[in-house]
Amino acid sequence: MSETAKISGFQRFVMRNPIIQFFKFIILSLKVLIIVAGGHGGTRG
Amino acid sequence: MSKIVVLGAGISGHVAASHLRRKLGKEHEVVVVSPNSNYQWIPSNIWVGIGRMKSQQILFPLKPLYKKKNIGFIQAKAMSFHPEGDATETKPYVMVEYVTGSEKGKQEKVSYDYLINGTGPKLNFEATEGLKPGTNKAYSVCTYTHADEAWGGLKALIEEMKNGKKAKILIGTGHAKATCQGAAFEYILNVEQELRRHKVRDMAEITWISNEYQLGDFGMDGMLLSYGKKSMESNEMLEMIFKDRGIKWILGAGVTKIEDGEAHYENLEGEYKSEKYDFAMLIPSFSGHGFKAYDKNQEEITEKLFKGFMIVDADYTAKPYEEWSVKDWPETYQNPSYPNIFAPGIAFAPPHSISKPRKSTNGTEIFPAPPRTGMPSGITAKIVADNIIDSIKGNKTSLKHKGSMGNMGAACIASAGYGTFSGSGVSITTYPIVPDYEKYPDTHGRQLGKTFGEIGLAGHWLKLALHYAFIYKAKMKPFWWLIPE
Ligand SMILES: Cc1cc2nc3c(=O)[nH]c(=O)nc-3n(C[C@H](O)[C@H](O)[C@H](O)COP(=O)(O)OP(=O)(O)OC[C@H]3O[C@@H](n4cnc5c(N)ncnc54)[C@H](O)[C@@H]3O)c2cc1C
Repeated sequence: MSETAKISGFQRFVMRNPIIQFFKFIILSLKVLIIVAGGHGGTRG
Repeated sequence: MSKIVVLGAGISGHVAASHLRRKLGKEHEVVVVSPNSNYQWIPSNIWVGIGRMKSQQILFPLKPLYKKKNIGFIQAKAMSFHPEGDATETKPYVMVEYVTGSEKGKQEKVSYDYLINGTGPKLNFEATEGLKPGTNKAYSVCTYTHADEAWGGLKALIEEMKNGKKAKILIGTGHAKATCQGAAFEYILNVEQELRRHKVRDMAEITWISNEYQLGDFGMDGMLLSYGKKSMESNEMLEMIFKDRGIKWILGAGVTKIEDGEAHYENLEGEYKSEKYDFAMLIPSFSGHGFKAYDKNQEEITEKLFKGFMIVDADYTAKPYEEWSVKDWPETYQNPSYPNIFAPGIAFAPPHSISKPRKSTNGTEIFPAPPRTGMPSGITAKIVADNIIDSIKGNKTSLKHKGSMGNMGAACIASAGYGTFSGSGVSITTYPIVPDYEKYPDTHGRQLGKTFGEIGLAGHWLKLALHYAFIYKAKMKPFWWLIPE
């Protein structure tokens, strides 16, 4: 197995910064909405 | 006039009942049978279990809502299924037993034209010796009462730690075939963060114990995720998070027995081991409710309706993992023997697990059962409701609405700590839920991009936003139906 990735200081800053996270929140909400509202169907043709 | 009986008022039962009521005229009757007087938003139980939400915030009483919306409500539990009626009742019916008030214990036949079984899982604590929420220092967060108890246990331990006690905390799955790893994952991260908030983190050793072969399996065979600009296996992501939080892990562990402060387990290497703890939260195995079914002559026909959970339009042919296909998974959740019976959510019998089945060297099966989270439970319930609505309105059976878990996405917004600015979340979306190796052969059966992971405060906000949105929706407030399942 590859060596475990670490959460770097910069990544931690991004994860906790409320302003950056506010924009992430909007993007994340839209991405989730697209996946959920993106439809579903059968698989058997 | 048609009568639709919905068993259960959890995510699937309640979603089905509300859509049926909204789209069917008053001449049609919608009746919900459920033993619990309250609706609970189960995903927020993890916050009740760390004392950051009161159980009152995640529940509301069903009776007033159903009265207002003209949905019948019987506070009772289904006991047996009679899909052909009997000598005295020509219509199909379910035998129910009242659970409260002066009528407690009374049995009644509830007849139907259509039946939706949304009874979810039986929390099968008995399958693990000694595992009973609130005893042996082991808890659950599967219901709000369990979560309240868990917080009581954790709070007391935090006080002891403040007085110098070193403590061991064990969180994960309490059975070799348990599912719902996601809930335990959320809880372990929330507990870890709460210990930091209470400034006792250094007094605790926190360990994850799970029947998963690898971290991040989640009963879904793991996943390859887009993570920022990279792609990452879910096990790598979880390893990164656990290492960051100083959480240890034990994998491939089938917990067999709980004693006061000690969990005994067998691992995939066939070793019998045990782990001591001062506080444990272990998810039990989920099973069917053990319902029986009878034909009109009162001959038992349980095998036509149940295979543990309810039989639906899945391909249940036994075959090896290598031959499993996404096409095995159901599309309409209709029982093949009785076309007016459906089972969305956790109530349907899956054709097989999603994770690769594994056995210990002693032959014990140790691997997660397939999860059916809130989103697919809601979506499948809506599909069932829409097909019933079309069938009633069109006066002929319609199965136009389809939704296989092999052609459906799910978002798991896992809380990783509570707090407006100190909170965190691990957001993972998966498309499709059941991997489709024919369509996505190079990316572990899933579509990269739609299968992604994100870590950060935004995830906490989203989980909180979903809490409020779904409770709003469940209360059937104005335009509730615009909020997707
Ligand atoms: C702690 C926890 C956290 C979770 N977090 C998330 C999350 O963040 N996101 C997510 O998507 N999913 C999450 N889930 C999973 C989600 O809660 C389930 O997928 C969902 O509740 C399943 O819905 P259901 O309607 O099939 O079953 P349930 O919600 O369990 O509902 C079953 C209903 O049937 C009723 N019932 C039981 N027996 C009978 C009977 N004999 N007769 C009539 N009625 C009966 C019950 O009272 C209940 O009302 C979590 C689960 C847990 C335990």
